[in-house]
Parts: sequence; C-alpha cells; structure tokens
Amino acid sequence: MTRTTQITILIVLLGLLSLFYQGLWGDPRHIPPILIGTKAPIFEGPDVESGEPLSSKKYQGKVILVNFWASWCQECKVEHNNLLKLYDEFKDHPEFIMLGINYQDEMPKARAYLKQYGSSFPHVRDVKGALAIDFGVYGVPETFVIDQKGVIRHKWIGPIVGDVYTNLTNKILTPLLNKSAPTI
Amino acid sequence: MVIEIGHFSVVIALVLSAFGIVSSILALKTRNVDWVRVGRVSLTSIFILLSIGMASLIYSFLIRDFSVHYVATTSNSQLPLFYTIAAVWGGHEGSLLLWVFILSTFSTIAVWLHWRTQPTIMPYLIGMECLIIMGFLLLILFLSSPFDRLIPAPPDGKDLNPLLQDPAMVMHPPMLYMGYVGFSIPFSFAMAALFSGRLGEEWIKVTQRWTIFAWLCLTTGILLGGYWAYYELGWGGYWGWDPVENASFMPWLVGTAFLHSVMVQEKRKMFKVWNLFLIIVTFSLSLIGTFLVRSGVLTSVHTFATDPERGLYILIFVTTIIGIAFGSLMIRAHKLKSQVEMDSMVSRESMFLFNNLFFLVATATVFLGTLYPLMVETWQGTKVTVGPPYYNTVFMPIALGLLFLMGIGPYIPWRKASQASLKKNFLVPLVIGLLATIILFTLGIRSIFALAGAFVVGFSGAAICIDFGKISSLYSRRASVSFLKGSLSAFTSNQRRYSGLLTHVGVLVLVIGIIASTVYQTEKVVSLKVGDEFIIDDYRVKLERIHEVRGKNWSAQEGVFEVYEGDSLLTKLRPQKRVYDASQTPTTESAIYAKNMGHIFLTMPDVSPDGVAVARGVINPLILWVWGGGGIMGLGVLLNIFRPRKRDE
Repeated sequence: MTRTTQITILIVLLGLLSLFYQGLWGDPRHIPPILIGTKAPIFEGPDVESGEPLSSKKYQGKVILVNFWASWCQECKVEHNNLLKLYDEFKDHPEFIMLGINYQDEMPKARAYLKQYGSSFPHVRDVKGALAIDFGVYGVPETFVIDQKGVIRHKWIGPIVGDVYTNLTNKILTPLLNKSAPTI
Repeated sequence: MVIEIGHFSVVIALVLSAFGIVSSILALKTRNVDWVRVGRVSLTSIFILLSIGMASLIYSFLIRDFSVHYVATTSNSQLPLFYTIAAVWGGHEGSLLLWVFILSTFSTIAVWLHWRTQPTIMPYLIGMECLIIMGFLLLILFLSSPFDRLIPAPPDGKDLNPLLQDPAMVMHPPMLYMGYVGFSIPFSFAMAALFSGRLGEEWIKVTQRWTIFAWLCLTTGILLGGYWAYYELGWGGYWGWDPVENASFMPWLVGTAFLHSVMVQEKRKMFKVWNLFLIIVTFSLSLIGTFLVRSGVLTSVHTFATDPERGLYILIFVTTIIGIAFGSLMIRAHKLKSQVEMDSMVSRESMFLFNNLFFLVATATVFLGTLYPLMVETWQGTKVTVGPPYYNTVFMPIALGLLFLMGIGPYIPWRKASQASLKKNFLVPLVIGLLATIILFTLGIRSIFALAGAFVVGFSGAAICIDFGKISSLYSRRASVSFLKGSLSAFTSNQRRYSGLLTHVGVLVLVIGIIASTVYQTEKVVSLKVGDEFIIDDYRVKLERIHEVRGKNWSAQEGVFEVYEGDSLLTKLRPQKRVYDASQTPTTESAIYAKNMGHIFLTMPDVSPDGVAVARGVINPLILWVWGGGGIMGLGVLLNIFRPRKRDE
C-alpha cells in the first residue's frame, strides 16, 4: 500500500469522523421554520409544458396556491385529481392563481406525467433547485398558500386528500378570496 | 423478577467480555494455552448469559409485562403472538440486544469450530470478538437498556408499529444482523492475521464458508426488506435509495467484492492488501450503518429514535474499531508485497481487479448520495434530499459494467488470455448479447437502461450456459449417460465453481426482473365511486363496493375491485385503508394478483366521506423474477456451503 493511498484513507476517515460528529448535534427531524407569516420569495422559471418563462411577479396582489411535485413522487399522483378539482372550483375567481412547481425532475418525465394525469394550470420548472430551498421544501408534495400581500399564510406537507382538501378549500382559500370580494 | 435476571446476566456478560480481552492478551504474552482456554470459556459463557438475557426479554413480552418500559412501548395486549415475539427486535434497545446475541452466538461457534485447526490465531480471534461484544454491551447497559422498568406500569402498552406487523418484517432484522455479524468473523480472522503477522492464505481458506454464509444472510435480509416495502408501503416499488436501505446495501457491495477477490489470493497469492482492505471496509460499513440509523444523524422511515448522546458513544466505539483495523493494515502493509506481478491486463486477475474497483466506486457513489444531505446541512444549514434520479444516473452504468464483468471473469484464463482463447470463449456470447439488444429494439424498446441491460444479460447468460453445456456434454459422453446425468456430474465435479455460477444466473434473473418491472411498469391513479371502472393495460378494473372490515387489532375500509381480462373475471382484489386500534396509525394495505410472473398491484390510498375512492393500479411485469432470482442466488450459495469437502480443504 503506497504512502499516497495511506494518506488518502486517513483523510477520508478523519473527514467522515468530523462530519458525523457535527451531524450528531443537528436534528434531522427539525424542518426549518415554516415561513408562515413571512413574505413569499419571488420565483421564476420556464413553463414545464411550453418552455416559456414564467414569473410570480406577474401575479402580485393575487392569492397564489403553489404546489411542489415530481414525476417520481407517488403521493403526488394520489393528490393530482384533487388539485385539478380544486383549480376547477376556484379558477373563475379573478384573484386566484394556481401554480405547480416541478421539483428535482427531468423535463421529459415531467411533461409525460402532466400528459398522463392531466394539466389545467401552469407548472414552473425549478431549475437548480433554488425555489425549493427558498420555500424550505424538504420533499414532495408540499403546498403553500400566499395571500394578496405576498405573505405565506398556509403550508401543507403531504398529499391534499380527504379532510386536508376540505380544510384547504373551506378554511383557507375561501375566506382569503372572499375577503377581497367587492362589497355590494 | 425475570427481567432483572436477564439484566443481571447481561451485566455479567459485560464483565466477562472485558475478561475475555484480558485473557487473550495474557495468552499472547505468556504463550500459555490455558489462558486461551479461559478466553474460550468466557466467550461461551457470554453466549449462555446473553441467551438468558434474550429469553428474559422474550418472556416479558409473552406474559405482557408492561412494567418493563421496552415491552410497554413496543407491544400491547391485542398484539398477536407472532408479532409479540417480533416486537423484541422492533425497537432500538431490543434490536441491539439481538445484534450482540447473534454476535456472541457466531463467535462462540467460530471458536469451537476452528479450535483444533487454528490454534495460533485463537487469542486474537477471541480478543477481537470480545472487544466488539463489549462495545455493544456498554451501549446497551448504559445508554439503551431494554431492561428498564416503568413504574407505575401502564394498564396496556402502546403498540408495535403497524408497519412492522408483518411476516417479512419479522425476519428482516435477524437476517440483516446475521449478515453484518457474519462478516465480523472473517474480519476478526483478518485482524488476527494482521496482529499475528501470519499473512498467508490461511485466514481466507478458513473463512470462505463464513463469508458466503454472511453474504447469503445479508442478501436475504435486503431482499426481504425490498419485498416488504413492495407490498406493505403500497407504492409498488421495492427500492427507494432511502438512507437506511443504502446503509445495508453498502456493506453488501463491498462484501460481494471481497467474496470474489479472495479467489485471487487463494489461486495466485496476490491481492493480499486488497482482501484485508475489503473485509475491513465491509465490516466498517456494517458498523457505520449501525451508527447512521441509530444516532439521529440521518432521517428516514427506518431510523430509530434520535439521541445525540447515544450517537456520540456509537461514533466513538465505531471509530475505535475502524481505527484499530485500518491502523493495523497500514502498519503491516509493507510486509504484504506480493511476490507475483500481474502478467497482463487481459487476464482473470485483472478482471477481478476491475471487479474490486467497480464495486468500490459503486459503494462510493451510494455513500456520497447518502451523506450529501448531511454535508449540506452541516456546512450550509439548508436541508436537501438526494432522490432516485441521482442514483439511477450514477449507479446504473456501474451496475451494468459489473454484470458485463460477470460474464467475462469466469471464462478468461489466469495470467494472460490469448487472442484465440478470447475468441473461443466470447465471440458467441457477444453475438447473443447483440442479438438480445436488437430483438428488444425491434420490439419497440428504446430505454437505454433496458437495451444495455439486454446486452449484458444476453452476453453473461450465454457465456454461462455455453460453458456449462460444453462441460455437461463432455461428462455425459465420457460416461455414456444422458445429458442430465452428465450435467449433474459436471456440477458436482467442481461444485464450488458451478454453485457460484448458479448464483450468477440468479443475479441475471433478478436483473431481468428489475429491468422489466421498472421500465415496463404501467400505472394509473383514478378517483372512483362504486360502480365505476378504469382500464389499465389489458385489464378492466371495477369498484364493486366499499365496506368496513375488522381484524384482531385494527379496523379498515376495504374496497372490493373486480379485475376483468376481456369478459372473464380474473380475480377480486381487496386493498384496504387500515387504522390500528392502539396507536390509531393508518396504513395502506395493497392487494396483489400474480399473472404471467408479473403482478397486478392495487392500493386504495384514500376514501373520502362521500364515497369517492382514490385507487392506484400498477402492473409490474416479471416482478416475480426479482424474488425468484433472489431464490436462485440463495440456492447457489447453499450448494456452495454444503458442498462435499475435497481432499485439499
């Protein structure tokens, strides 16, 4: 065994040791603060289906529902129909915008997924994963609701099914959208 | 009372393990064999005491003694008997006790089995095993005791995690631990060789059967885990590159490299440093894996409860063992220069070298992917995840390379392959490999993974079949018997070689199953009401009704789905959305129908109050080849272990 090999092994082992030691004091279950009550990051990226640039700046002043998904994510498939249903329910409201963000995925697979499962609202591709980090996304699916002032009001980790769906539509979206309804 | 007896026995075992180390050192210093005998008695007593410890814990579970903290947190009165026993290793503390119990069992067997033939290394063997045992017992007794009482005792326990209430899950940990612990035997022999300076082929010949036995257990454990994930977690997949899955896969990769690399030392006295390095890395990865899943450093569906103090101790313990191992290797490395140089880059030796390198690179990629989130979190504070795309891109090509080597290695001569021998052995397999690729291409398959896979599987499969066919016909002609009888004689004439090749065949079958069930998997997710139906592949699935079902300790909503092929009813599938009484944990129970060696796989992840069910159907072609391939691999290993001993063994 050459000197170089010996030294390499030593460096690798010491590196691992320090990494593990530092890792002990982190908490893997601790998910960074939910950002609720903070201003949502402005985000942009190419539209998954058309490739055209999309930016959230265009939608400032509206209620934005953002849903992170990936073609390889099983739970995303389970909630997909509900997302389409939700969009259908709220799409006519002038202040409602719904955007999907495609996370850690490959374009062809993302497009095939949308083709197979259906697509009615726009989807942005998260180039380089910066959007996910800005939103503190740890996995998929994750859903955020941003109000008219650009503040994150709600976050849900996991698929939007059953009670979660009802809670989202009745207790979160409807009040937010009604608040801005013109008084008659 | 019983649990205290168990506790006390384990305490005595700890003392004896320290004594075992001391007696081994004394044996070496005084060269008195009586000290070695003392060490053997200590080790045997440790085994007996840990058996008492395990028995007392199992007993406490069986009589549902909820005044024992561990029993209360991992079982309850409604838990069926079978799972009550499995609950013993269902939590962190109990599983550690199982680990060290298996360790003491194997160590004791190894010492008694090799006592007469390996007297010189016995003190090293006993000392090393006692050191590892002591490390685990210190952890168990001071930081992770399953023997603690819970006063006042609760009227009933919490429950065993419902995901673990399953037959495959019951066997998965013991199998894995037998694998990890099994590798500790060749590891300890390797340490003995390093410490004693007896660096010949002895330690390898002696531990050959231990190595393949450990490999068999580890492989079975991993496959059981995959099988469980497949039908229990409900997503129709069997491997997710989850950190804990990777923690078991990495020692497997290096262990497989080791298992092959030792043949070069046996045959040509080369790769001495390689082999010591490989077994040290294999066992180190087993220990690091233990660290990763119990320290709280990584998160996954598999990890046990987090605790930095416990994690720190495990880190120190693991560092000590690995430090001693690598330290010894580096100190002795200069004595291990092999006298023989490699003759040619086109030879069996070089194929084994590539084998080692490929396996190590594969392990490194998995290691990097597993630790990357930890690195980013430590140095940047942000959380990221590494998903299947990374692993598929980086790992698959290496895997294909290894499969290709699998077809070359056994058929290329030692020392140097001539052009003529290369042509003779590989021309036909190459052609068959190409044919396989072309056939798949014409069938419309465009996936690079599937096409490359077809080539290597065709190539390697052809190489094995042609070679075995030639030898079998030789034997059958020589003895004027049928081809079948000839093949039997051929097999037994060199059982070690051919059982190994049988395992390779199993690998090919497994790979075909993986390619088919991954690339050709069809999936459909639909929302349905009773009476609705959907089409998947050639099948029509109709939701007949949804009703409530009760089990021993759970209740569920079950969907009854009729599966039609054309107009004929194939089967009724009954996936469930279950809730376990004690913990109120929901699980998705899948329903599977086997057809044409593939699966129709159905789950019902959600039922809304207004009767709309979400159903997820998956067709997994040839998935049974995955489990079948695993079975053939196991058969090959068993035929290897239980082969008739030849004169020179």
